[in-house]
Amino acid sequence: MKEYKNRNLITIFTKGDIFSKLSYIVCGASNMRQGQVIKGLLFLLLEISYIFFMITNGAGLLRNLTTLGDNLQGMQFNEELGIYEMMAGDNSMLILLYGVIAVVVTISFIAVWYFSIVSGEAARKRASEGKKNKGFIEDVKSLTNENIRYLLLAIPVIGLLIFTVMPLLYMILMAFTNYDQEHQPPGNLFDWVGIKNFITLLSTGDKLSSTFWPVFGWTLIWCVFSTFTCYFGGMILAMVINSKGIRFKKVWRTVFIFTMAIPSFISLRVVATMLGERGILNVLLQKWGFVEKALPFLSNANWARVSVIAVNMWIGIPVTMLMVSGILMNIPEELYESARIDGAGPVTIFRKITFPYMWFVTTPYLIANLISNFNNFNTIYFLTGGEPHTLNYYKGAGQTDLLVTWLYKLTKDSNDYNLAATIGIIIFIISAIFTVITFSRSGSLKNEEGFQ
Amino acid sequence: MNNKNVIGLNLKYFDYAVGCVFLMAVSLILPYINVAEGRKNFISAVIGLVKCSNGQSINLVVYLTAIITIASLIIGLISFYATSVRIVKIWQVIQAFATAFWTFLLFASKTILEKAEIAKGFTNKQLSFGFWIGILAAYVGLVLIMRTTRTNVGYFFPKNLTLQNFTNLFGNNSVIPFKKWWVNTFIVATASCIINTLIILATSFTLSRTRFAGRKAFMNVLMVIGLFPGFMSLIAVYNILKGLGLNQSLLALVVVGAAGAAMGYHVTKGFFDTIPKAIDEAAIIDGATRFQIFTHITLPLSKPIIVYTVLGSFLASWSDYIFPSMLFGDKQSSYTVAVGLYWLTDFRRIDRYYTQFAAGAVIVAVPIVILFIWLQRYYVEGLSGSVKG
Repeated sequence: MKEYKNRNLITIFTKGDIFSKLSYIVCGASNMRQGQVIKGLLFLLLEISYIFFMITNGAGLLRNLTTLGDNLQGMQFNEELGIYEMMAGDNSMLILLYGVIAVVVTISFIAVWYFSIVSGEAARKRASEGKKNKGFIEDVKSLTNENIRYLLLAIPVIGLLIFTVMPLLYMILMAFTNYDQEHQPPGNLFDWVGIKNFITLLSTGDKLSSTFWPVFGWTLIWCVFSTFTCYFGGMILAMVINSKGIRFKKVWRTVFIFTMAIPSFISLRVVATMLGERGILNVLLQKWGFVEKALPFLSNANWARVSVIAVNMWIGIPVTMLMVSGILMNIPEELYESARIDGAGPVTIFRKITFPYMWFVTTPYLIANLISNFNNFNTIYFLTGGEPHTLNYYKGAGQTDLLVTWLYKLTKDSNDYNLAATIGIIIFIISAIFTVITFSRSGSLKNEEGFQ
Repeated sequence: MNNKNVIGLNLKYFDYAVGCVFLMAVSLILPYINVAEGRKNFISAVIGLVKCSNGQSINLVVYLTAIITIASLIIGLISFYATSVRIVKIWQVIQAFATAFWTFLLFASKTILEKAEIAKGFTNKQLSFGFWIGILAAYVGLVLIMRTTRTNVGYFFPKNLTLQNFTNLFGNNSVIPFKKWWVNTFIVATASCIINTLIILATSFTLSRTRFAGRKAFMNVLMVIGLFPGFMSLIAVYNILKGLGLNQSLLALVVVGAAGAAMGYHVTKGFFDTIPKAIDEAAIIDGATRFQIFTHITLPLSKPIIVYTVLGSFLASWSDYIFPSMLFGDKQSSYTVAVGLYWLTDFRRIDRYYTQFAAGAVIVAVPIVILFIWLQRYYVEGLSGSVKG
């Protein structure tokens, strides 16, 4: 038989032999035919166990997923005993979770099924070319060699599937339900509501949307300010430390790295207590006679916003400094020398040489930083916890809350999971936009010679 | 004008420095404070303090400020006529003292004046323009003299020295199970730093050194997953752990950490990419398997990045807060230090436990600081990535 090109699911079926066709229904048939008995049996075993799972549990789980449960927990009349009894109802949350598990299992099985077909076809092809097919032992051995990817990636992939992909699917689906405070299982059911959550959150008029937009606006302001203050601060610090006159460069660098070594939740909690109404800063300011009353560093909305940006500099500048130092040393010294000969002062040199170079090299880093600041949970949560609170916002949200900290509060404190999931998806969309920009800009990294 | 040239001095700033010191001295006779009786200049404040019956040692600050300011002016004038390196250096030291005293006065004025009953309810708003000119001139003068002697103006105030204060705040922590928390955290951090590092290295190696269909797709999927805020799905993770019977246990922290570890492959992969392909090819020709290449070639070449990864994963699980706090709820005996310390700083407890919190904070920071000092060379090298050779 003449071999064909363009192998895909359709051509394998139409142009393969009878065993290739059979392996669409009985996984591993083709492998067994070509002498790879153990491999074929393994495929078959996986298929049988999947079918068994679907018959016993899976089908029911998938069907429940469409309704998310019908039976409400409540009192029912028991005719035999003649009394009302408490009947356990459906638990929508578990139904959703198990449904997601069934979906993930199904997708995994489809992957195995596809893999078995391709593998069987490859075995058939090798046999028809007169080559010997690998035995099971040889297959296992190849795991340390050309197939090492299966060996090394198996654990990460399984881990990701169970603890990242599955929960993520679960939460994404949750954004399309009404799983909020009033619909808490097991006492109550929740149901699919389509994109209603997005509409209430984004459109004007409701208290939710009048919380969402201000919080979103502050998140953007925070994102821009915190990124750029740290960026320029770190750059200036790195330049000062790298400049010629400074002695003990290593010592200075180490001193600043220390701020990174101290876990941020500790330093932030310490700073938060220092800035409090009876914190050390206010006490000293009053004692030395600078102010009469305590300053509202963290209790007035605008003060708190400025404070968190300022404190974030203290955390972020050393990181940028470390990252920028290496790049600074790469700038060719000749550029500086010729600029100095032409009579340029330090400001001109920074404006015309150092800054354009840095800007060129670090744009992707900067955008990555924007994303991470957009999701900067730690600084806000540990410093202010989102406070000060205001009555204008939906319960829980404070005036320094970012979208992420609000999301966290919605899941932890007020159990509005559907809103949290919706915000999560919105955050994802915004981060994705940033990322697309990064990717289109990172071409600048590839042709670094473009500068000069 | 002074057109001299003195080796070792940069006379460009010299005249300005003399001017500043002169201004600083002049400000002694400008108004110093606004009090109820009207404005007072520095000299009359000194006289007032001397006359004052209940003299205290802190009044010395005021006297010394005046004396050193005048001394600085005198030496400045001397050096103007007999410029030499030595005199300017002495001047610099004296000016540094003068600046320090002026600064000290900013913080001490309230105490001194209230004790001597010159002013009541004094705030620094009442310091008059003479004082502000004086302190400003003192600083500018010092900087200019330092420029003249070409001493570098680095940092007067290294900003993170403030943390030093907290290392002094040790207290005992017997009321709260801090030791248990520390041990919990240490176990979790050590275990997950080993497991996570192995997983990250394996993933990065596969994605960097081998080519297979679906490699790009796999990387894209990881990136997309990474864009979702991670703790959004913690509720689901919690329920899955419950189903596996792992909830409220330390093992859960390790397992969940390891499961997500592969997403942090970027930096390590970037490092592996810089190892020349030719080395791998030569090894394959010599009959090495991919796994042998991984263990015998790639890993020995990647010491900096391994250290970076180990440090990163240790640090991450050492100071992770969100997941443990959600996982353990109110089961205090399994808290990690991050959760425990945050629990201590709750507004209901902070007043009672502040010293314990501070001590705990130090104890938590110590292992990390030691790790950092020990490994910081690798940390920088790992970030700048690139294998020589």
